[in-house]
Amino acid sequence: MTPPEPPDSAPAPPVTGDPVAPVAPPVRRLVHLRWDLDKTYLQTNFDSVKDLVKTFWQKPEDKATVAGAQALLQSLMDPADRINRRVTFISGSPRQMRKVLMRKLCLDGVEPDMFILKPNLENLLRGRFRALRGQVGYKLKALLLSHMAQETVDEYLFGDDAEQDSFIYSLYGDILAGRVDAVRMAAILSTCKVYRHDVDEIMAYHAQLAGSGEFVRRIFIHLDRRSPLDRFAPYGARVVAIYNYFQCAVLLFDAGLLASRGLLAVLAAMAGAGYTPERVANSVQDLMRRGFVHPPAIRKIVQALDDAEKTVDRPASQFIQKFEDVITSLEHLQRSGPPIETDINYLGLYHEARFRRQQQRLLGIRLLD
Amino acid sequence: MAHIVIDICVGRDCGSEALEAAAIASLEHDHQITVVGDESEITAALQKLAHDAEHLGVAHAGDRLDPDLELADSLARAPRSSIAVGMELLARDPAAIFISAGGTAAIVATARRLLGRLPGARHPALAAVYPTLRPHGPASDPFALLLDVGATVDCDAADLVNFAAMGAAYSAKISRIERPRVALLSNGTGLAGAPERIRGAHQRLREATTGFEYIGCLRADHVTSGDADVIVTDGFTGDILLRTLEGVAATGELLLKRAAERLQWRLGVQMLGDGLAAIREFTDWENYGGAPLLGLDRAVVVTQANSGRRAYLNAIRLGAKIDRLQVLAAVAASVASISSVSSVATPHEPPATSSPEAAT
Repeated sequence: MTPPEPPDSAPAPPVTGDPVAPVAPPVRRLVHLRWDLDKTYLQTNFDSVKDLVKTFWQKPEDKATVAGAQALLQSLMDPADRINRRVTFISGSPRQMRKVLMRKLCLDGVEPDMFILKPNLENLLRGRFRALRGQVGYKLKALLLSHMAQETVDEYLFGDDAEQDSFIYSLYGDILAGRVDAVRMAAILSTCKVYRHDVDEIMAYHAQLAGSGEFVRRIFIHLDRRSPLDRFAPYGARVVAIYNYFQCAVLLFDAGLLASRGLLAVLAAMAGAGYTPERVANSVQDLMRRGFVHPPAIRKIVQALDDAEKTVDRPASQFIQKFEDVITSLEHLQRSGPPIETDINYLGLYHEARFRRQQQRLLGIRLLD
Repeated sequence: MAHIVIDICVGRDCGSEALEAAAIASLEHDHQITVVGDESEITAALQKLAHDAEHLGVAHAGDRLDPDLELADSLARAPRSSIAVGMELLARDPAAIFISAGGTAAIVATARRLLGRLPGARHPALAAVYPTLRPHGPASDPFALLLDVGATVDCDAADLVNFAAMGAAYSAKISRIERPRVALLSNGTGLAGAPERIRGAHQRLREATTGFEYIGCLRADHVTSGDADVIVTDGFTGDILLRTLEGVAATGELLLKRAAERLQWRLGVQMLGDGLAAIREFTDWENYGGAPLLGLDRAVVVTQANSGRRAYLNAIRLGAKIDRLQVLAAVAASVASISSVSSVATPHEPPATSSPEAAT
């Protein structure tokens, strides 16, 4: 079978000075998109038991997506290039919600290749109460299990700041890259209080996959809780904390993964969700100030949006004007992105996060995990 | 949705508390916030702060005003100061509100250069609020408005009439007072010993039919009584009065601290703890939200030089309220109305006067 032609607007080489993103995958390279669901793709509120119950009983059509997430995913899964793209959802939602969640994705026009949910009922019945809240054991195992053992795969992971996604995704990437040996791995899993059964499985996957290659290209963390950015600095340039999916689209466009039509679709979706040109321009400025994109890249984006709008007839012109203002105001900026981190102190980061969580109290008693 | 422009080069802790306030406001409100200052310093500081980058933009201002130089020299040597950049943003966006804790003289001078005046407004006036014994308006607002407190040092009768119109319109909107009571600050309730400008303004205000109630002259010892909703004076006297009131409050605070040195007094202070805390809260200038600079065609709010996070947050709330209630339009209408009825507005720009800081 002849592979389909690449999208009409073929990705151009990236113009950022960033050391991770510029490794633009060749068009024929398999791209594996790994998405978390709640607070990353779906707007979910888990802050109270009432919210939890409400979420559980919510109908698929009542579930709302994060602005721009659906448009971004649909654009990335463009049928013209579908053969080279895979999408996996790994969610902490219970397996009992599979039908509702699948229906929601179906309504959104998203067809996941793999959809992994947490066996919460099983955990409950087996008395594995720590596993109900803990994510490290479950998600790491799911990521390793669903890793495609192919040499030519690039993985882009999407998570949020409500859980430990940046920690788990980075650890997963470093396991594949061979930067976490078995001794260190065992120590991390022990510190994270992962159940013995899960530890054995993860260590088996580790033995099989460790050092197989540098597959994880970028980790996007949706700042649902608007956590401070320096919380993600220890993970290095691979982890990008994003305030919205237009920021994500900008970086993926710059990396040659998203076509200009996709960029415009995300922008249109965000405008539809009430995003003003000032709000979107501020997010672009934020990326520039953090050194993830440079003025020439934004100029390229402005050009692409301008060209795409002529053919698709969407109201991007006022956004384009604001982007140009951003470029003009920060023309002088020659900031390099954050450095690549090859030796992440996972134990230190885990404890740091744990102490942060300890600040949350119930009736004056510290909530320990 | 208001666009709030905040100068973060000044304020407590070299402006870091101003940035913290902006970060908090970006999370709590739907306003568009632009912070003005050194971009690299702001970006580095923002990494540590929870904020919403969608609502928080940065405008780079590379120059710093030198406080040791004469004002004119200082402004000339810093063409891209945070005040100048902020005012430029304001000039481009009619809906924006500029908040700065910079020197009043520098703000007024830059505003004169970059912003326009409301039709009929002769000079800008800085309007500060001060707590009074009697509440004001239907919402029982505890504050009276005092203007001018430092923007225009030399005023004539026409300027004072202008200030009365601006202050009354502001008070009517912010405190929801239908017909604000306006008084002229003088050295007595009669006019015998009053200077010419006070007598002239008194005459014109008494004759004019306006949207406010002119109640005559008011002595300084009645400022805190709450008899008037708006107290009008020139910038020189207003600045001295305001600083005296603040000085007295600060001295009271200091005396309380000294009282704690003696055991008996300390016990007494402890017993009065809640009441004293309430008074402290009532008189704390950080709760006021800054002083609007009235008479310009854009909204400018001036906060004190040592403003902290709370003062900035209140200034942001005030800025948003000015935008939401369309205070500028009300002030413009009031000034136009008094100009037409009292024929006090002169078509030419009166000689530019400087604020006390410039005079020193």
